[in-house]
Amino acid sequence: MQAALAAMAAHTLMLSTYSSPTLFSQIQSPNSHPLPHSSFHGLSVKLPLKSQFQSMSLAAAHKPLTVVAATKKAVAVLKGNSSVEGVVTLSQEDDGPTTVNVRITGLTPGPHGFHLHEYGDTTNGCISTGPHFNPKNLTHGAPEDEIRHAGDLGNIVANANGVAEATIVDNQIPLTGPNAVIGRALVVHELEDDLGKGGHELSLSTGNAGGRLACGVVGLTPV
Amino acid sequence: MAFLRSVATTTAIAASALPAAFALSSLSSSSSSSPSQSFRFLKAQNLSFLSSTPSLNPNRSCLATNSPSAIRMDAPTSEQKPSHQSDAALRELLTEYMVDMKCEGCVNSVKNKLQTVDGVKSVEVDLNSQVVRILGSTPVKTMTEALEQTGRKARLIGQGIPEDFLVSAAVAEFKGPDIFGVVRLAQVNMELARIEANFSGLPPGKHGWSINEFGDVTEGAASTGKVFNPSKEEANEPLGDLGTLDTDENGNAFFSGVKEKLRVADLIGRSLVVYGTADKSDSGIKAAVIARSAGVGENYKKLCTCDGTTIWEATGNDFVTSKV
Repeated sequence: MQAALAAMAAHTLMLSTYSSPTLFSQIQSPNSHPLPHSSFHGLSVKLPLKSQFQSMSLAAAHKPLTVVAATKKAVAVLKGNSSVEGVVTLSQEDDGPTTVNVRITGLTPGPHGFHLHEYGDTTNGCISTGPHFNPKNLTHGAPEDEIRHAGDLGNIVANANGVAEATIVDNQIPLTGPNAVIGRALVVHELEDDLGKGGHELSLSTGNAGGRLACGVVGLTPV
Repeated sequence: MAFLRSVATTTAIAASALPAAFALSSLSSSSSSSPSQSFRFLKAQNLSFLSSTPSLNPNRSCLATNSPSAIRMDAPTSEQKPSHQSDAALRELLTEYMVDMKCEGCVNSVKNKLQTVDGVKSVEVDLNSQVVRILGSTPVKTMTEALEQTGRKARLIGQGIPEDFLVSAAVAEFKGPDIFGVVRLAQVNMELARIEANFSGLPPGKHGWSINEFGDVTEGAASTGKVFNPSKEEANEPLGDLGTLDTDENGNAFFSGVKEKLRVADLIGRSLVVYGTADKSDSGIKAAVIARSAGVGENYKKLCTCDGTTIWEATGNDFVTSKV
């Protein structure tokens, strides 16, 4: 009973601090590594004590406990003070990646930075939305980079008619839990996001994507 | 699940006991002489870690509550009856502003002004970061007006209490083209949330308003579902029912009050809906998604790096043509 309790506590803790997908996948196969420490090699030195505790407790539990499995959905209606507007729908099956369907109109043809900000509050414009959603405290990057903000969704590309349609599949923007995207703001920018590689002083924070054209708060939808 | 939650919450209490105590002690010493120390704590990264516990456990609170889901208007300003005193203490909240202050003199004039405002209990000012933190039960509108009366620009940057709430503050913004409004929700304690609303452009008269279950505004209010009712018992008055908003002949409405049993974390991503009628018999005239907003010490951003706007230039006009 005590072991089960510890495992539960550890699992819950892990959900709340879920921050490293690579760590997660490593410790999901405890049987092949009877000593959790050995599977980390030199890496374990860098890990905070907390992570080691989690991995050991999870190794004791035979299977991870899952919280209710279901499809989750969300939607954001993006509007701005220009003619730019659109609808973004998000869906996630169980604990899988989140699929983001974007349709934004009124853009200038070409790529536009597309980001998720920490807060959905625009009462003070861009400042009250906080920075790009960044629970891991990393620098700006491309969606496929390891070093990126969770809110870095890259660029969406508008066609000659100014319509951008995209489907983004991403692992870092869950619809539930402490890092859920619900209630945060999606923002589409004027310029292309250089994905942290432009060498501009803003590249590593915002991707130098220029001003904001439209934004919308991610809200819950009926499943 | 309930068992699992309580385990998690217990862990969180143990983990957060120390910083919470520190926060409270730093709060009581409302001097500006050593502000950086108390402010630094709230900026610390570990606070947001501690606050990201998965649930708010209702059993933790031992507040006496009457009439479970009643919404109460604040007593008319300037006279709070003695019998309401303990009640008022329970409604206290920290509100953080960034105020354009440049000298010690500014600090004093801001402090002196705020201390005359009804409901303000203590004021903490940090000149370096230009942050003013106010503890009290005063509506945001009143505090903002008081700050503006000192001739300085002031922007609300956070609301809440330094405890382990998952989410302590939320905002729903109505961005026109006809109806403009800002509704702020802030967690006062486990069992109570403060609600403040400012609207313009509403048709005069009484309007029903509520928190609805979905934040889907693709079809306006029509796609927001039913009034939020976590109790699942149809007989109960839904928790999300906020009663009616009184709108004056100019189309303005103001509301400030508290609601029991309301947890801000459960409302994120749902919507705030205003109806054309008092009894909500229509499908709603305007809806806004309830968004996360910064708690105390969570957002000291002063500059929008994407376009170089400073906080003093920033307004909600970024995204709309006009506003309240």
